[in-house]
Formats: sequence, C-alpha cells, structure tokens
Amino acid sequence: MTTGDGHTRLLYWAGVALGPLAWGINLQGVYTFAHFSCEKTRLSGAILSIVLAIVALAGTTVSARAVRRSAGAEWADAQGGGPRTFMAWLGVGTGVLFALVIANQLAASLIISPCLR
Amino acid sequence: MSMAADDRELRDESLDGLQLSAQLERIWRTPSGLLGALMSVDHKVVGRRYIVTAFAFLLLGGILAMLMRVQLAGPEKTFLSPDKYNQIFTMHGSTMMFLFAVPVMEAFAVYLVPLMVGTRNIAFPRLNAFSFWMFLFGGCFLWISFLLNVGPDVGWFAYVPLSSLQFTPTKRADVWAQMITFTEVAALAVAVEIVVTVFKLRAPGMTLDRIPLFVWAMLVTAFLVMFAMPSIMVASTSLILDRLVNTRFYDSSSGGHPLLWQHLFWFFGHPEVYIIFIPGTGMVSMILATFARRPVIGYPVIILSLIAIGFLSFGLWVHHMFVTGLPQLGAGLFTASSMLIAVPSGLQIFCWLATLWDGRPVYRTPLLFVLGFIAIFVIGGLSGVMVASVPIDTQVHDTYFVVAHFHYVLIGGAVFPLLGAVYYWFPKITGRMLSESVGRWNFWLAFIGFNVAFFPMHILGLIGMPRRVYTYTAEMGWERLNLLSSVGAFIFALSFALLLANVIYSLRKGARAGDNPWNASTLEWATSSPPPPHNFDRIPVVKHRDPLWADSESLPVVAGLSAERREVLLTSLAEAEPQVREASPEPSIWPLLTAIATTVFFIGSIFTPWAVLWGTPPMAITLIGWFWPTGSREDEA
Repeated sequence: MTTGDGHTRLLYWAGVALGPLAWGINLQGVYTFAHFSCEKTRLSGAILSIVLAIVALAGTTVSARAVRRSAGAEWADAQGGGPRTFMAWLGVGTGVLFALVIANQLAASLIISPCLR
Repeated sequence: MSMAADDRELRDESLDGLQLSAQLERIWRTPSGLLGALMSVDHKVVGRRYIVTAFAFLLLGGILAMLMRVQLAGPEKTFLSPDKYNQIFTMHGSTMMFLFAVPVMEAFAVYLVPLMVGTRNIAFPRLNAFSFWMFLFGGCFLWISFLLNVGPDVGWFAYVPLSSLQFTPTKRADVWAQMITFTEVAALAVAVEIVVTVFKLRAPGMTLDRIPLFVWAMLVTAFLVMFAMPSIMVASTSLILDRLVNTRFYDSSSGGHPLLWQHLFWFFGHPEVYIIFIPGTGMVSMILATFARRPVIGYPVIILSLIAIGFLSFGLWVHHMFVTGLPQLGAGLFTASSMLIAVPSGLQIFCWLATLWDGRPVYRTPLLFVLGFIAIFVIGGLSGVMVASVPIDTQVHDTYFVVAHFHYVLIGGAVFPLLGAVYYWFPKITGRMLSESVGRWNFWLAFIGFNVAFFPMHILGLIGMPRRVYTYTAEMGWERLNLLSSVGAFIFALSFALLLANVIYSLRKGARAGDNPWNASTLEWATSSPPPPHNFDRIPVVKHRDPLWADSESLPVVAGLSAERREVLLTSLAEAEPQVREASPEPSIWPLLTAIATTVFFIGSIFTPWAVLWGTPPMAITLIGWFWPTGSREDEA
C-alpha cells in the first residue's frame, strides 16, 4: 500500500467524522458563547455556525471524492463487499445531514437574541 | 478457505460432520449440575437468563402500573397512600428503564449478535457472565428494598434537592442511586463485548456493508451506552457522596448547583431513549426483510440514520430542561437538534414502508407488531416534535401530555418491536413455534389496549392534569378519561398475559421449528434451533449481505480451527479478513464470586464510607482468581 493509498483510505471517513464533530462544536460553542455574544458581538454565534457548516460540507466533499475515485473498482451493491466505498457514501450523507442541523441552529442564532433569558 | 494448521493439534478439517459436532459440543458445552450452571459463559445461556430476568422485571413493573391505574381510575381514591404512590411510580419508572428496557435489548444482542456474525461465543464471555450477575443482584437489591419499605420515592430521575439528605433523610434515594451503579456496570460490560464482537469476531467476508442491520443497530447502541452511561454513574456516585460524606456537589449554599444534576442526568437520559429505541429499529429491519420477502430498501440509508441518530442523541438533553431558566438561544439550539433528529428517524420509516410496498408481505404475528410499531411510533414522534418546541413544552411540561408522548415513543418504539422479536426469534431460541392464532389476539389486544390507555393522556395533559399526583378531585373533570385510560391499561396487561400463556404452552407443545422456519436470510438461521453450544460446526464464509438467500444450498466455510479447545477466529475491522485464531475462555465460577464481592461493596457503601476500604480486598481476591493463569490451553497464545 502506498502512502497515497493510505491517505485515501483514511479520507473515506472524512464525512462521518467531520459532520458530527462540527455539529458538536457548534452546539457547545454557540451555547457557551451566548453570554459573550450578548455583551460584545451578536453575530459571533452565526459566524461560528457558518464556519462549522462549511467544515461539515468539506467532509462531504472529501468523502464524495473518495467515492468517485474508487467507484469503478469497488461498488457496494445489494451483495455488499465494498466497505470503504460504503463508508464513504455514509460520509457523504452524514456531512450533508449535519450541515443541515448546523444550518437550523444558525437560523436559531439569527432569530433569537443571545441576551434573552 | 483454510487456516494454517498446527500438526500437533486436532483440527476441524480432520473430522467428518458427526464427529466434529460431537467433539465441538463436548468442548463448548456448559458443565452439568448447579455449579456448572453458575459457571456458564455460553452467550446463549447468559442471553436466555438475561431475557427471562428482564421480562420478569417487566412483569413486576407492569403490576405497579396496574396499581397506579386502579388508584387513578376515579377521583379521591384511597387504594394507595400518597407515600406508597410515590414509591410505586418511582419503582415503575426505574424498573422499566433500568431493569427492563435497556437490559432486554442488550439481552437479545448477547444471544443473537454472535450467531448473526457467525462466531462461536461473544467477546469476553466471563465479563458477560459477570454482567448478568450484576444486573440480577442490582434488580433484586432494588426490589427487596421496595418490599422492605425502603423503595425509592424520588422519581426515576431523582432530582436534587428532593433526593438530597435534607429532603430524603431515609435510605430510599441511596437505594435508587446504587441500583443505577449496578445496572450501569452491567450495561457497560455488555456494550464493550458487543463492540469487540462486531469489530473482531465477524465471519470471514462479512465486510462492514454486509453486517445485518440488527447488529449495526446494536453496535451504535453499544457506543451510546459507553458514552452516556458514565454520566449517570458520575451523577449517582456524587449523589451518594453528597448524602454520605457531605461533598456538596448539588448544594447551592456551598458552591454546588442543583442544575448540575439535571445536566448530568439528562446527558445520559436522552441518549437512553435511543439506547432503547435503536435496537428496536434493528429488530424491525430484520423482521421486515423476512416477511416482506426482500432485502430492506436503503441499507446504507438506514445505517446512516442509525449513526446520525446516535450522534444527535447527545445534543438533545437540554430539551428536558426548557423550564429551568436557561438562555433562550441555548434552548433554541436544542430545539433545532430535537427537530432535526426527526429527519434520520423519518428516513428509516420511509425505507421500511418502501420495503413493504415493493415486497410480497406475509402478515404473520412478528410483522403485525412491526406495523403496530410504525403507527404508534409515528404518533409518538409527532408529539415529540411538539414538545421539542419551547413554547409548547413550557405549557405541557410535567403534565400527562408528556407521559403520553414518552409511552408512545418507548412502548411504540421499543416494546412493539420487542414483542415482534419474541415471536420472530422464539423458534430459534427454543426450537418451538409460538401459536400464531394466540399471537394475533396478543397483537390486537396490545394495539387496542395501548392506544385506549395512553391516547387519552394527551388530552388529560392538555386540560391540565399534572404528572405524579396520587389523586384528583371530581371537580377537575378528569374522571372519565382516567377511567378510560385504566380500562385500556388492563386490556394492554391482558395482552401480556396471553403472551406468557403462549410462551408456556408453546415451550411444551409448540410445533417444532426447524432451522429456518421463516426462510430468513441471516446467519443465525444457518444453524439448528436451538443452536448447539458451539453455534456452528464450521465457521461460515459470507459472500453476500443476505447469505442464506444467496447461498441457499450450502454456505462456504472456514477450516483449520481447533477441535481440542475453545477457539474463535478474529478478522479485520473493515474487510473481515481472517487474522488470527484466539482461545475463548472456559466456564468459571469467578465472575459470580466477583459479582457477589462487588454487590457487598456497593450495598455497604451506601451505609458507611468504610465499605470502600473493607469491600475492596474481596473484590481484588476474586479478580485475581478470575485472571489467574491455570495452565490450561486457553492461556496459550
């Protein structure tokens, strides 16, 4: 296995890892910074959410590239037997889903004042 | 496929079919007699004990529910005293959540996962036996305390300051907190076993995208257990410390904070819902594929949903705390997550409906329970989206609307699939079929009884009936709906009596099941019913997601495993390529002795901190005995 192959293998998981990680940071980050946002900048939560939504989508993109590279050689059909492509597809879906959750939280942070108790 | 063989050792390729079966049965069987039974490390024996014990606790919890429904059937009844009512609703919730719902799902996994992945025993079988004994002792501890009038009366969530020493000076809150420790130790042990079994003991060729959906569901559940349970163990231990040695974690006058309890509890408590629900979805997927007579549509989508639900479940806990005065922005974020978890849940439901639509469904009892699950769970999900919204939650918080919602989710989402699973896997576990006609009565009584019992509670909540009240006055106007609810509860209970009768009758006189009575596709049906002690004479090789449908005549198998000692085959994580042969532990009495020592330690430590000191040496001795090298073949590399 070459170094490039090793990297490709790891990158299959990018969407599965980055999507939930970005969402977790967003949830805790915006919640934690709510007090700070009220006193200083009201947009800090929104900015954080936008950045992290991009991170989640980056995971999707990396996983999608991994799928495209190996789709010819290893395709997970009903028979199974293509675990890395399969996990890459999961990465594509997970990244999109968690970007959607972050976007929903972004909407909340734009609508609700961080000063509201 | 053949493994490199050691010439000095008898291996399976040297024996023909009958010889091999007899030899493996001799090696893997549980020793006879009482001592042998106490020493068993067979996952099927432990799994059966777990299932029966969990259902016994369901029966006890159900009896408590009936007592509550008698009390609430009319206004100002005196059937139960306020104190007894407090104990009973606490015992009901604690029993159902900690002694039935989580353990029974893990119990099915203990029995089925090794069979489904095509191995001979679960990983860490002695830990598995220890887990069962801890669960049993913890459950008995709670119930004996209740019978001695020391049953907890602080709700299944034991909020401080109610559960603090100041407001609960008796041992009731300690009993609750230490019962948690027992059951969480048991649950964590099983979770570790499931993860290692799925990652390392799968049959060759069972790549990540060929794992049965129930196994995927249990894998996700095991991770949830491992990350959620430590939170409640920290909470229960710190509560005991507060009560025993005045540590003041939750005392606001000394720098502690009562809200810390709620955060710790619900960081566990919300994933707990999914720890119960996700295995149910795995059961649904298995049953649906068999009775729709086609593979489940959207296998990757369902796994994506399971993983997404697993992650998201850790970001919802604050929706249980909307009325505690948290920042509204924070509440908004948790509302967003709570709403969005409906997306992966909905994806699964559409996959199941599509499977039914495209399949050729056979409406046997297991499938009826799955259809009941879909109907009830969707209603519970819709009321869940409602209470995820802060304004609505503020209105209905602590009312019977919430009681209705979580019973729809938990009974619809977990108990209905579980009852379907009982009908589906009973033939595999016992070798006998359950009666189909009684099963249909069972289903319809359960479905009608459940809805009559719990749907009126939505309305009761909306018209203002609060939770946890032991009675109400006639002027409130809640009488008729409560009576209707009580009638429904008794119909629901009758359905369980039918199930029990069906099980007892069928164990003796049920039709013989055969290896694969449903023509199912997964590996547990490739062996006899009930399976032999070693599960499979030869480990199968998997070349398809539905191996029995793809290779209906004969599965390819592995050769080269030992026929002289207990041995399992380890495979790689993603591709399931054979890696190494590994010894599997022999039966042992040490897990039971360790559980007894741990029980003495745990129970003693709610009375005196010295129990930590004098309770440790017996545990150390039993653990040394457990791991002491015996010179037997299992200790060889």
